[in-house]
Amino acid sequence: MIHIYDNFNQRIIRNIFLIIPLFLTISIAVAQVEPSVIVKGEVQRHLTLDTTDLLKMKRVKATLNDRGGVSHVYEGVPITNILDSAGVTLHGQLRGENLSKYLLVKCGDGYQVLFSLAELDESFTDKVVILADRVDGKSISDGRGPFRLVVPGEKVPARSSFEVTALIIGSAKD
Amino acid sequence: MSKTKKIQGGKVYVFATLIIFLLLMQSAFHNVEPPNEPVKLNYPAYFGNRTYENPKNPLTKQGIALGKMLFYEKALSANGNISCGSCHQQDRAFTDGKRFSEGTNGKLTSRNAMALVNLLWVDNFFWDGRSKGLENQSLVPLTDPHEMGQQLDVSARKLQSLTKYPPRFKEAFGTDKITGAYITYALAQFERTLISADSKYDQYLQGKYQPAASELRGIDLFFGNDKEQEPLMRRRTCGHCHGGPKTFSELFHNNGLDSSSQDLGRAIFTGLAADNGRFRVVTLRNIALTAPYMHDGRFKTLEEVIDHYSDHIRESATLSPFLREAMENSNKIGFQFTRQEKEDIVNFLHLLTDSSFVNNPAFSDPFK
Repeated sequence: MIHIYDNFNQRIIRNIFLIIPLFLTISIAVAQVEPSVIVKGEVQRHLTLDTTDLLKMKRVKATLNDRGGVSHVYEGVPITNILDSAGVTLHGQLRGENLSKYLLVKCGDGYQVLFSLAELDESFTDKVVILADRVDGKSISDGRGPFRLVVPGEKVPARSSFEVTALIIGSAKD
Repeated sequence: MSKTKKIQGGKVYVFATLIIFLLLMQSAFHNVEPPNEPVKLNYPAYFGNRTYENPKNPLTKQGIALGKMLFYEKALSANGNISCGSCHQQDRAFTDGKRFSEGTNGKLTSRNAMALVNLLWVDNFFWDGRSKGLENQSLVPLTDPHEMGQQLDVSARKLQSLTKYPPRFKEAFGTDKITGAYITYALAQFERTLISADSKYDQYLQGKYQPAASELRGIDLFFGNDKEQEPLMRRRTCGHCHGGPKTFSELFHNNGLDSSSQDLGRAIFTGLAADNGRFRVVTLRNIALTAPYMHDGRFKTLEEVIDHYSDHIRESATLSPFLREAMENSNKIGFQFTRQEKEDIVNFLHLLTDSSFVNNPAFSDPFK
């Protein structure tokens, strides 16, 4: 009898271990997570930015043609301002070995694109890459937002990535 | 006389020292671990080097050999009736030909068994990418009640009691004390070696095979090798997501199977609404061997798959923007392939079958 009771207890304990992850999975599926962009890697401060945070930062506009050739006006924050907030080695610090540093942009669908820091810094280029959260006065939707990288002046918009989720700073080495 | 004695005494002393030295050397060599031989994987340069290895689990000949045994070891399942190899059969490019697989308890899995091909280039595993790294991936099938259903500590104890395993763990990891972590490490080592790079398409890329006209048209259609003059939707081709000669880059998309997904896919793991109905874009290497297709195995043939992308894509809030873009530019649903184009693409997909991969004894069941 005691033996059966012990088995019963063991079964309850085992089931609890099965039920808890199941419950957590369902809870996660129901409780939707707010989209955000994290900034990490070789930074002084890790950041997690949502739409509200971007609205508090310096705002600029940039124009980008879609693949059909139609021009759209995007609004957002210069990527260098975001990187400055994280303490990335830009501007006067962008020399010597810091010139081998890169920005890796990760997107919600797994897509990734890369820039050298010098491609983004205003002492090297007049091109202003922005992290946009508005297009033609509206939120960016249809699987392209809520955060899209906008890289003006490129012949193919392949680095103007949709659904940006992370900005990662690293050092290239061989 | 005393001088002779001295010399003889000296000889004895030297001889004894030599014997002691040899005994010590023998003892020292006896205690040396067997050499753990590192393994470097070979693959074509056109696969690229964006590979995922674990510096804490370097590949060795002994680790890979142990991993292969464990892959086919039924003692790792709760009822001793299935191994990894039961649902991942080599002749089917490590799938099982079923919509859903039967676990150790006779219950079915909720998603289709994925092909184990070129995993060296995968970082986030499963249809929804929930497990980072092969060492973490194997935890799920090993312990899921509807798969192998056995906790790792139980598996470790079972293997410890089988005389064949402790010495092999000692060879692979320097200890005969078997742990769950070492089980996952050995499995990961074996699975990283499952490289398929000798299909007819590879032979074509290496200048050793001349594809037929239909196969060449299929290659052009698949990768969008044409033509600025072609309509825009045609330039958004299969290769946009199934990219490059590997026919794989790690992406997750809603490919328009349903307007409202029963299985929320990646959203279950991330909690993001944007991930509803989003699943892995799979490698197409050996795809002709891995029917049925999609996360729920709904399509029985490659022809059905091509028909889906051509004519039956369903609109939804999270439909891949690349598929939607193609539709926006044509005002029609899907890629609208002609009958000939469908046939050409299927003929190309058959070029990706690698018979040397599915017959390679290095990957086959060592218990048969």
